[in-house]
Amino acid sequence: MLHLRLLTALLLTAPAAMAQDDLGAIFGKDSVRRDPVTSTFKSTRIINGQSNETLARGDLDFRVAHRFGDIGGSGGGSSTFFGLDNSTDIRIAFEYGITDRLTAGLSRSKGNGNFSQMWEVLGKFKLLQQTHDNRVPVGITLFANAVVSSMKSSPDQADPNYFAKFSDRGSAVAQLVISRKFGEMVSLALLPSFVHRNRVGFKDMNNMFAMGLGGRLRFSKRVALVADYFYSFRDEESKDYYESRGTKFYNSLGVGVEIETGGHVFHLNFTNATAILENQFIPETVSTWTHGQFRWGFNISRRFSLGGR
Amino acid sequence: MKRIFIIIAFLGLAIPAAAQNVQSCRSVRLRFFSSAPLEDIEAMSTQGVSAINPATRAIYFKVPITSFQFKKKLMQEHFNENYLESDKFPYAEFKGRVLGTTDLTKDGTWPVEAEGDLQIHGVTKSYRVSGTITIAGGNLAAEAKFKVRVADHNIKIPSLVIKNIAEVVEVTMSAQYQPAVKP
Repeated sequence: MLHLRLLTALLLTAPAAMAQDDLGAIFGKDSVRRDPVTSTFKSTRIINGQSNETLARGDLDFRVAHRFGDIGGSGGGSSTFFGLDNSTDIRIAFEYGITDRLTAGLSRSKGNGNFSQMWEVLGKFKLLQQTHDNRVPVGITLFANAVVSSMKSSPDQADPNYFAKFSDRGSAVAQLVISRKFGEMVSLALLPSFVHRNRVGFKDMNNMFAMGLGGRLRFSKRVALVADYFYSFRDEESKDYYESRGTKFYNSLGVGVEIETGGHVFHLNFTNATAILENQFIPETVSTWTHGQFRWGFNISRRFSLGGR
Repeated sequence: MKRIFIIIAFLGLAIPAAAQNVQSCRSVRLRFFSSAPLEDIEAMSTQGVSAINPATRAIYFKVPITSFQFKKKLMQEHFNENYLESDKFPYAEFKGRVLGTTDLTKDGTWPVEAEGDLQIHGVTKSYRVSGTITIAGGNLAAEAKFKVRVADHNIKIPSLVIKNIAEVVEVTMSAQYQPAVKP
C-alpha cells in the first residue's frame, strides 16, 4: 500500500515538473534565424574598395578620405616628412540612405591619375543579403558611379586630358560586391569591377575589368584589421607599350586598421594607390609598395541619423 | 495491482489534459526605454514568444535580440554589435513561475508576481517582477514592467557614451495568450 502511495505521488508530480521544463520546447522549431547578417563590414568602404554595406534609410554619411605622399622612394623620406607634406588625393563626400538598401551620394575629389578635379555621383544597391540560416549564403551589392572632371583641358591633343568635348571628361564604374561574413570575426568580399573611361591615352584601355578582394578581421568589438587588393586586367600590348615608355602599372593593395567609436568610423591605412576613386586607382596606379611608394591614408566616416520613422 | 493500472490509466488521461492547458503567445510586445541625460533611447519588438501553464504556474519568454527596432538604425547596429553581441547571444530568455495562489483559470484581472531567471547577453540573473494577468473566457493576457541593470548582464557602456545610455533600462512587456497548439 505504501508503494502504491509513493507511485501515485511520483506520477502526480512528474508531469507537473515536465510541463514546466517543456514550455520552451513549444517554440523549439523557430529557433533557426532567418534574419539577415548585419555588419559584414563596419562602413561602406573596405579601404580603397566598396564594401557590401549601404546606409540605413535616412542616414547621412559624411566622409573624408585623404591619401598622403609616398613614404619612401624618391618622393618620400625625411624631406617630405615621409609623405605627410604632400597629399595625392582628397575626397569629400555626402552619401545618403534613400532606403535601407539604396544609397546615393555626391563627392568631390582632388583626383590623381590622368585627370584631377573629380565630381562623382554614385549609387549603391543591396541586391541580396546573407542570412543567418545560410538560405542566402552571400550578400550581393551593386555599385555604380559616374565621374566628370572639371579640370582645364590640356592644349596638347595627344594628352589624355585634352578635352575636345564634354563627354571626354567622363568615366564610370560598375561593380558587384559579393560578400560573406564567416562567424563574428571574419568577413570577405569579392569585387568584380568594370571601369570605363571615355578618353584615355594612346594604347591605354577605355574599358577595363578588374577583380577585387577585400577582407575584415575583427579582433575586438571596435577594432578590426582591413585590407583590399584589386587586380586589373590590362592587356599585354598596353602594358608593353607603357613599359617601353617607362611607365609601369601596378595593382592596388591597401592594408589598414578600422576603429569604430559609435557614429564615427576611422580607417588608418597604408596603400600604394595614389587615387581614391575606383575610376582612377584601378586603371591608373603607377606606384608600388616595393619602391617605398606607399602612403599613409585615412578615411573618416561620420554618420548622422536624419530620417527616423 | 489492479489499482495501479487504474491510477496509471487515469494519469495517462490527465497528462495530455494538463498539456492542453498551456497557453502560448507568438507576438509578445516588448519595449525598452533608456533615459540618459543626453538621450532617450527606445526600442520595440513584437517577435517575442511566451508560454504559460496555468496548472503549474510556469511561465516562459524568449525574444530574438535582433528583433528590437530602433528609430535610429545606427543605434540598432551598435546595440546588436557592441552591446548585446547578438551574434553570440541571439536571444533573451526568461524561465520562471507565477507566485501566489491566484487561480489562473478564473476570469478576472489579477495583480501577480513572477519569479525566475532572466538570461540576457549570456548572463543569467534571477528576477522578481510584478505585473497583471487578465483572464477572459479562459484566455490569459499578461502585462509587466521591470528594470534591468545593464551591468548585471555584463553589458559594458564605454565612458564616452555614459551620458547617452542609461545604466538601468526599463522594460515593458505585454502578451495575449491562446491555447497552445501542440508542436
